[in-house]
Amino acid sequence: MSALWHRRCTATDIADLIALAPAGDRLDGEHREAFAARLRSLPTMEPRRLDAWTVEHGGHAGRGFAWSPTTARRSIGTLAFARRLPSWTAQNAVRDEMSDQLANFARGYSRLGSLGHWLAGLDTVALSLVESEAVNWALQLLDVAELLGGGATLATTDGYYHVAGAQTTVRARRDFTVTGPEGRVVLRIRSGRPGKSAGPGLRADLVADALATPDGQAARRFIGLWPEAGLALAVDGTMENLRAGARDLVRAAVVQRRERLTKAA
Amino acid sequence: MSSLTLVRETVAAALRGTPETRPQRDDVTAAGLRAELADLVFAAGATIEHPLVLRSSSLRSDVQLAGASAFARLRGLYVTAALRLIVNGCVPQNPFVELTSAFERLGTDSELVALVDQLSGDDRARLEAELRSHVSVLSRELGTIAPSWRPRTMVRSTVLVAGGALELRDQVDLMVGTHAASVASLALLDVTTSPLGPEAERVMRYHALVSTLRTGSLPLRTAMLSSATGERWTIDVTPELLQRAVADIAAHSTMAVAA
Repeated sequence: MSALWHRRCTATDIADLIALAPAGDRLDGEHREAFAARLRSLPTMEPRRLDAWTVEHGGHAGRGFAWSPTTARRSIGTLAFARRLPSWTAQNAVRDEMSDQLANFARGYSRLGSLGHWLAGLDTVALSLVESEAVNWALQLLDVAELLGGGATLATTDGYYHVAGAQTTVRARRDFTVTGPEGRVVLRIRSGRPGKSAGPGLRADLVADALATPDGQAARRFIGLWPEAGLALAVDGTMENLRAGARDLVRAAVVQRRERLTKAA
Repeated sequence: MSSLTLVRETVAAALRGTPETRPQRDDVTAAGLRAELADLVFAAGATIEHPLVLRSSSLRSDVQLAGASAFARLRGLYVTAALRLIVNGCVPQNPFVELTSAFERLGTDSELVALVDQLSGDDRARLEAELRSHVSVLSRELGTIAPSWRPRTMVRSTVLVAGGALELRDQVDLMVGTHAASVASLALLDVTTSPLGPEAERVMRYHALVSTLRTGSLPLRTAMLSSATGERWTIDVTPELLQRAVADIAAHSTMAVAA
């Protein structure tokens, strides 16, 4: 039975979810090879990226990525939060981060389509609207960090695992990690409220995170926080959940391939 | 006991109040409210398959009437965006022109830009003039909101009650403070482009209720500012106030079911 834990997003509930997490299982070379073989059997002409979002949307392609205040807020807000010092304010840190992005563009370090490139094309008012969204995200991270206490570490990057020979990259979204002697618990923050596919999404993140870890050790528990709904869902790092997550990622790749073939025909 | 204040001071000062007199954080009331709402949902016959969805605008007949007017909708959207700029310390000189240009560049509000394109020349001029007036009132009334108060704008919430049979959706225009402190310190502000009427109190209570259910603790106060008149109401959040918010929802759900 692969349980999906459902709790309120309060300090006590999250502390319980972290403290009572069981030991996580480990993916070995055979597991990695089996996963890669399944993806290699689904050839693709272009690079393929699989993540929890793909699984939650049943593998159906969205409208494609485009920068907007909403898509930029996590990148800017997280890097701004990483600058946290005793006199830190979200507003100043976000401004510093955006200034750095613009400076990189001015020096010619930003490639076409990057965040810095997009920001450089905006006027002062549009930049201020982007800043507002990023400040909201940075402050949400601060709220969660306070909820978790001192033991949590900000994850400044997501986890990525490239499946050799399958042109596929698997991404694990993560925002905080709580590491203890018995292993780690990973937390990720999402907007809105959890939908019906939130559980499969968490399992996809769990397996992607384990794959992205060199020794294949799964997190003891993978917790999804939806602060806007005041809810937390979690899955344990068991082999059953890892298998379910891997199956969902492969299914998403199958749907993606079918859609691309239909489009090409 | 809740107090209704009609004294003129900046919104920033009113939201912050006197830090020394803030009550201890109340973490126990939320569970009772949730149970009451669950009973109410059961009585109203809402189910997970057919949930009852409520927004703060559901409690305001003026917004429902204005919903038909693209002009009023546009004005509201522009004023909300202007509030975000003012909180960031960037007061637009010509809000209509500057924000329209920003929306076009960001490319995210195509529906809004399309609505603007549909406006006649007279309506555009009227919107431009009205926005100047609303933004002028906002920047005067808001005062300086220190970044250390953690100001967040356009904060959305979606709270599910009774397993999803009741869905309370909300958007608070400005939120300052934190719910994690040992004393109540979260303050909520709603900005409306209409004059404040009897329904404003209902909306303020709704914001307080949704925030309580979402975070599990009571906010400090809830406020509403009219950018049309500069009038502002501020209410301290108490368990009694939240009981009235539940009663508002009960009345609304009874009407919704009867309809």
